[in-house]
Amino acid sequence: MKERTITFAAYLLFFAVVFALPLALNSFWTNRIAVYLVYAICAVGISLSWGYAGILSLGQGLFFGIGAYMIAMSLTLAVPDNNPVPQFMLLNMEPNALRDLCCVTPGSFLWEPFRYLSIGILAGIVVPCVIAAALGYVMFKRRTSGVYVSIITLALALIGQMLIINNQPLTGGFNGLADLAPLSVGGVEFDPYGKSVYYLVAAVLLIVVLLSRLVVSTRLGHVLKAVREDDSRVRYLGYNVESYKLFIYCLSAAVAGVAGLLFAVTSEFASPSLMSTSFSISMVIWAALGGRGSLLGACVGALIVNFIGSVASENAALQPVWPIVLGLMFVLVVLVMPEGIAGIAKSWVAKPRQPRSLKEVTQ
Amino acid sequence: MNAIPNTFRSDMNLGTEPVLRTKDLTVKFDGFAAVNNVNLTVSRGELRVIIGANGAGKSTLLDLLCGKTLPTEGEVWLRDRNITGIGEAAIARSGVGRKFQTPSVFKEMTVLENLQVASNRRTGVFANLFSWRPPRPTEVEAEVASRTGLSGVLNRRASELSHGQLQWLELAMVLSQDPQIVLLDEPAAGMTAAETDKTAQLLLDLAGSHTVLVIEHDMAFVKRICRKITVMHQGAILAEGTASEIERNQAVVEAYLGSATLSHA
Ligand SMILES: Nc1ncnc2c1ncn2[C@@H]1O[C@H](COP(=O)(O)OP(=O)(O)O)[C@@H](O)[C@H]1O
Ligand SMILES: [Mg+2]
Repeated sequence: MKERTITFAAYLLFFAVVFALPLALNSFWTNRIAVYLVYAICAVGISLSWGYAGILSLGQGLFFGIGAYMIAMSLTLAVPDNNPVPQFMLLNMEPNALRDLCCVTPGSFLWEPFRYLSIGILAGIVVPCVIAAALGYVMFKRRTSGVYVSIITLALALIGQMLIINNQPLTGGFNGLADLAPLSVGGVEFDPYGKSVYYLVAAVLLIVVLLSRLVVSTRLGHVLKAVREDDSRVRYLGYNVESYKLFIYCLSAAVAGVAGLLFAVTSEFASPSLMSTSFSISMVIWAALGGRGSLLGACVGALIVNFIGSVASENAALQPVWPIVLGLMFVLVVLVMPEGIAGIAKSWVAKPRQPRSLKEVTQ
Repeated sequence: MNAIPNTFRSDMNLGTEPVLRTKDLTVKFDGFAAVNNVNLTVSRGELRVIIGANGAGKSTLLDLLCGKTLPTEGEVWLRDRNITGIGEAAIARSGVGRKFQTPSVFKEMTVLENLQVASNRRTGVFANLFSWRPPRPTEVEAEVASRTGLSGVLNRRASELSHGQLQWLELAMVLSQDPQIVLLDEPAAGMTAAETDKTAQLLLDLAGSHTVLVIEHDMAFVKRICRKITVMHQGAILAEGTASEIERNQAVVEAYLGSATLSHA
């Protein structure tokens, strides 16, 4: 009982700080921290699949990138200059092509639905989910697990990145989509450097964390815990382990997609770099340092690593060594403190326990 | 909500109705027949013991029964259903519960949590997404825990249990699945003398109310639970009968008992 109270207090404290922070921040830092909160959402996605089900995806960047691109397409079309077709398409069009989304460049008709922001947002969640479902179905049906899942997901993210870079007339290629219109919903405009976007991100983080927490506390979460420990044993208890893995993998893809949506809104661009291997691996490092088995720990990990990283990048002496320090910290965490910061916090809080008495057990 | 476990059923119909049947069951690993043309019938309420030397194919036979390994030839029937190749999870759901040779429980979870994963008969993803674990054991969970002497350690992490307790926990998990047939692979392996005694008693308790197939290679233990014995040798069934019949069987004595185990028994 006591442990639950402490956990609850930790969540409360974290979100109190998150929601109070903008009062003390200038617009630059408001935007920076908003981006870090987006990263915290990514880390929650990693924690769900890796921490709770043992599926280490090294391709979360694919889902994150897709989320960002989907809404970035809508926000590109919302810029008056990009009417009837986005500027970059004009640079790539055949000389006598019709200046219309239907046919200005090969495949440009795919942009048509994205005139509706709602479709851009929906696609940013649904498309990652569908891709994860298809990939997961194939992987888990074949009982792919462990490092093979990591390699396959990593490869798929690379393929996604290549497809985007190589289809410049459709995607904007290497440059990605920049100069997006600010998000505007029901007449409310969200300013990336103002408190509005910050609170949007913070609110979504809160919702994602609460929903994830809810999911892992159900019987499903309980079965997943068993799957993480010994997935084949779970089969002999009558569970279709594949379905469970598929569910949590899709959920983590959807969470990454949501984070991608918010990233495009907060940073005002989407680019192929979001699907890079190094970015996907960064997400895993955030979750590992914070504690992959703890949703809150993963959030804290994302915030701390990125905050220190940004401070380090402004210091000429620290900048070159930071990636090395980060890498070493990751190795250290994996080897000696697999539960990360959350694990350390737990062991500080937990007092040395007496063995449970029979009375406590039976009452 | 939970099905009433076998233990509460009184309408016993001992020894007539076959629960599990195998037809010409064979598995070959690179041409080597680890299980060779096995025809085995286990009847309702029976406590059947399979003995045989190390490497005789006993564990592999259980692997075939629970779907861990696919047979090269032959079929496995549970009552009137052919369960060959339907997948481990479906086989488990249809009523085959297995305890592995080395205790396989979830060490990071408490004893109660282990039982809860096992006893849950609604195994679908969405059924479990919309339900929560009760903090207290259900009747079935409490019953199997008390049978296996684990009532006092329900909230203890499995990693804190002794080896004997781990064996019993896995047995309790299998029982809480309410299976049609319980497959036990050397349930007393690695136990102290006192623990072995208790396990023998437990198996005798189960006999009648449960259909149990036990693998054992300790003849002393086998004689204590003294039921119909099936002897396996080089993947095939060599003999079947009571302990005294087996001991008088010339082929068995030559192949197996003649070596070490008989003298210890
Ligand atoms: N998956 C496998 N691949 C190859 N050989 C196997 C496999 N499983 C079991 N065997 C072989 O089958 C024989 C029977 O093994 P097992 O069933 O474990 O014997 P036991 O009667 O001691 O339980 C052994 O010779 C073992 O090496
Ligand atoms: Mg064996």
